[in-house]
Amino acid sequence: MIFFKYDRRIFQNFDWTLLALVMSICAIGIINIYSTGFSLGDNQSPLYLKQLQWMAMGLAFMLFAFLIDYRMINRFAYFIYAVSIALLIYVALFGHIANGAQRWISFGFILFQPSELMKVTIIIVLARYFDDHKSHEPYLLRELFVPLILVMIPCVLILKQPDLGTALIVLIVSVSMVLFIGMNWKSILIAASGILAMMPVAWFFLKDYQKDRLLTFISPETDPLGTGYHIIQSMIAIGSGGFLGKGFLKGSQTQLKYLPEQQTDFVFSVFAEEWGFVGGLVLVIMFLFLLIWGLRIALHSKDLLGTILAFGITSLIAWQMVINLGMVLGMMPVVGIPLPFISYGGSAMFTLLGAIGLLMNVSVRRFILQR
Amino acid sequence: MEKQYKLRNGPGPAEFRQKLNIIMVLASLALLVLTVRLWHLQVIKGDELKQRSENNAVRFRKIQPLRGLVMDRNGRVIAENRPSFDVLYMPTKGIDPEALVQKIKDIYKTRSVDYSSDQPFPKSFKSYLPVRLEKNVGMEKVALVETNSVDLPGVYVDVAPIRLYQDGEFLAPIIGYTGEVSKEELEKSEEYTFGDITGKSGIEKVYDTYIRGRRGNELIEVNARGKVIKSLGRIDPVAGSNVVLTIDLDLQKAAWEAFGSLSGAAVAMDPRDGSILAMVSLPSYDPNVFNSGITRDEWLKLLKNPLNPLSNKAISGQYPPGSTYKLIVAAAALEERVVKPETRINCNGSFQLGNRVYHCWNKHGHGSVNLHRALVQSCDVYFYTVGKMLGVDTIAKYAKRFGLGDVTGIELAHEKKGIVPTKDWKLARMKEPWQLGETISISIGQGFNLATPLQLAQAYGALANGGTLWKPHLVKRVELSDGTVEKEFLPEKKGELAFSRRTIDVISRGLWAVVNEPGGTGARARIPNADVCGKTGTSQVVSLSKDARIRRLKKLSAIHKDHALFACYAPMKSPEIVVAVIAENAGGGGAVAAPIARQILNAYFEGKQKSKAPQVAVYPLPAGVSANGVTPE
Repeated sequence: MIFFKYDRRIFQNFDWTLLALVMSICAIGIINIYSTGFSLGDNQSPLYLKQLQWMAMGLAFMLFAFLIDYRMINRFAYFIYAVSIALLIYVALFGHIANGAQRWISFGFILFQPSELMKVTIIIVLARYFDDHKSHEPYLLRELFVPLILVMIPCVLILKQPDLGTALIVLIVSVSMVLFIGMNWKSILIAASGILAMMPVAWFFLKDYQKDRLLTFISPETDPLGTGYHIIQSMIAIGSGGFLGKGFLKGSQTQLKYLPEQQTDFVFSVFAEEWGFVGGLVLVIMFLFLLIWGLRIALHSKDLLGTILAFGITSLIAWQMVINLGMVLGMMPVVGIPLPFISYGGSAMFTLLGAIGLLMNVSVRRFILQR
Repeated sequence: MEKQYKLRNGPGPAEFRQKLNIIMVLASLALLVLTVRLWHLQVIKGDELKQRSENNAVRFRKIQPLRGLVMDRNGRVIAENRPSFDVLYMPTKGIDPEALVQKIKDIYKTRSVDYSSDQPFPKSFKSYLPVRLEKNVGMEKVALVETNSVDLPGVYVDVAPIRLYQDGEFLAPIIGYTGEVSKEELEKSEEYTFGDITGKSGIEKVYDTYIRGRRGNELIEVNARGKVIKSLGRIDPVAGSNVVLTIDLDLQKAAWEAFGSLSGAAVAMDPRDGSILAMVSLPSYDPNVFNSGITRDEWLKLLKNPLNPLSNKAISGQYPPGSTYKLIVAAAALEERVVKPETRINCNGSFQLGNRVYHCWNKHGHGSVNLHRALVQSCDVYFYTVGKMLGVDTIAKYAKRFGLGDVTGIELAHEKKGIVPTKDWKLARMKEPWQLGETISISIGQGFNLATPLQLAQAYGALANGGTLWKPHLVKRVELSDGTVEKEFLPEKKGELAFSRRTIDVISRGLWAVVNEPGGTGARARIPNADVCGKTGTSQVVSLSKDARIRRLKKLSAIHKDHALFACYAPMKSPEIVVAVIAENAGGGGAVAAPIARQILNAYFEGKQKSKAPQVAVYPLPAGVSANGVTPE
């Protein structure tokens, strides 16, 4: 088997727009993390440097994911899935524990979060499944049994860590992909009513703090002490930024450390406080451009596999972004979902850049593949 | 790789065009909504929120819960709470905390009191959480801070509960102590936050989840000078549950006092269910010093003390059991039928094996003795002979049945296993084969044998109750703060000796005679109220110690004296109490340990007579402490 064959056209038709767009968003992220000025302790390097290191590794991963033909990657889809599941099981058994959750594998000085990898793996494995089982008709519920199992295994493992946010993203992205590929209307109704009926049962399995967060969202004023505090402080920070922002390194909410989780989930509040509505708007437009670009790649792909992959990756970025911003702006409950490329988090940066590599892969190979 | 790609069936990408267009519109709409919200917050409500950010005067305050009480079996309080006055600083805008601390020091200096910071002022702190400057300060400092509050913006005095142990020193090995949550504990569990009080050792640690209670929170608004203006919301703390021990406080005290100035350990247990009535370890320490924050010097002093006050010797002190081990060899001999009760063995004061001679403790010999006399006079030669007939592995089998060589499973941490040597054990451990001479040593409880006082009590308890091995336990039940039972702990059976009735009868008559017949080595344990059965033991300290320990002992010099042991139970007919005593480097078991056991037994039977009338449990709360938190007066 040849994993990579040099072809001039890969570089002639390289997707510079996508690279430039992603790099700009990443740059904004790094500058913003620098501003949170948060360091993990006196003898540890500042967070923005760590994030830069992860970004460098992510770029290497991106190149790798770009060079190998995505149809070749597709052949290994179940293998990649098995490895990702194995990593999740390893985490469940021997994972590194921090802040009461067991989510990380420790490689000495580096902590890796396999659930982040799973977000991309689930896209690859579902693409493989639907490419293998093509159909002109919308899928019926019983035809979706295997994908359901493929999605539920990682979801349960991630929920147990516990990490509600990541499990939710895996689930939402998978559902989006299925709906995109096509599902019978009746089946959709049956599935939806089934999920609604399961809600009270799911409630039973939620951790207390997760219940609190959902309840707080319904009425934030009932809990000004817990998560309500996060939302209130976040909104104060964003609002106080005004139209033009307070300026780089000048956000008083941020610099005084009123904001909880300010370098991870609430990182946008920092950005909006310092760069104002103008900065926020620029970032949102960049994301919008990225989404449209990703959907365009899905549209122009020469085969079904490429379309599904491109759509899955785009929806992964889109959902995380919409949910994170919704949460930070006080429009959605607080669930731990980071803002892609902007929030601090090495594993997410690494795997997202890998996913972008795959997106470029699809983008370029439409010039090589023939119908 | 050049093969043609063709869609045989399934939708072509063009069929997705419509869907993708819809999705693009939906995504754009979603981002538009977010943008509108951003505009709303930043431009429309911008000025208002900016105002709020500038005088962000919202602060968090944690309210520490009351820890549950720890009580003895009769409801007498062993561990309670008392108020501690802490000096705190509420971060306030425009005030330099370093200068503020200097100002406090200056104010203190006018009355010549020292500023005692328990931790350096943190370089970075969250501006919505108060920082504690000093804890557990005296009334003088409270008065100074309160009267100078105008000069000390943001500084205030708060009250938090801290532990108080009324009889701390003699209960410390059991209940342990509390302290502030450590960095490791913080990382391990989401339930803790910085500054919480947790159990650090003993019952306080093992039952921390019950005792701890739930922390409360208060969100408050402060003015520009750091003074609290109003409360924005409060979650009351929930007091922890009370733990009721099986310990009898009076007996515990008696056991402690019985040792006088000696060091060692004693365990008193109810042989009928394994509940521990008293457990002392000497020397001990005052656990109260940990609650208010122990200084480094005090800590090092405790740590470096050669008598090991921080360890609970009843469970983690491992000693050669000496002649108390003859109980096991005697039981093995009868059960394996290597001797009959009436079999006589001649003791002329020594025992020859090859060219080595093993002496009896009585140089002149005991003459012809049967098992009964051998127990009464603790004749070594008899047991050398029987031990040689049994072999090391058979003895080990019986020792294990008595629960030796393994942890008893009591609710405390750091329990040691002891050692029951076997041939395999030695080969694995020392890479050398077993020597027959070593069997001779272990038949009288010397050599490699090691046991904890608790294990001895457990073994003698099993004989006393007719053959059942109970798991020793310290906690009777956990009660909610209103007194309702939250969890009850029932006795657990670990195993059966499975001996014939005759074996048990012969041995217990022998043990009775040790204390009550003329010439018995345990005569000093005789009490008027009950028939005591027991066995003395004297364990050589030096011959079997590990190299390191010998060196340490040599350096300390003079403490080469033997350990004195005594294990017993009473009354003979239906035993209610089993006692194991070890007095370190104190001499012979009969002379030193037996009298200690007698005092404990006396206290037990006298106490029993006195308490014919049922006692009423009273749990007093200290002043200034309410059921769900500490309120300043």
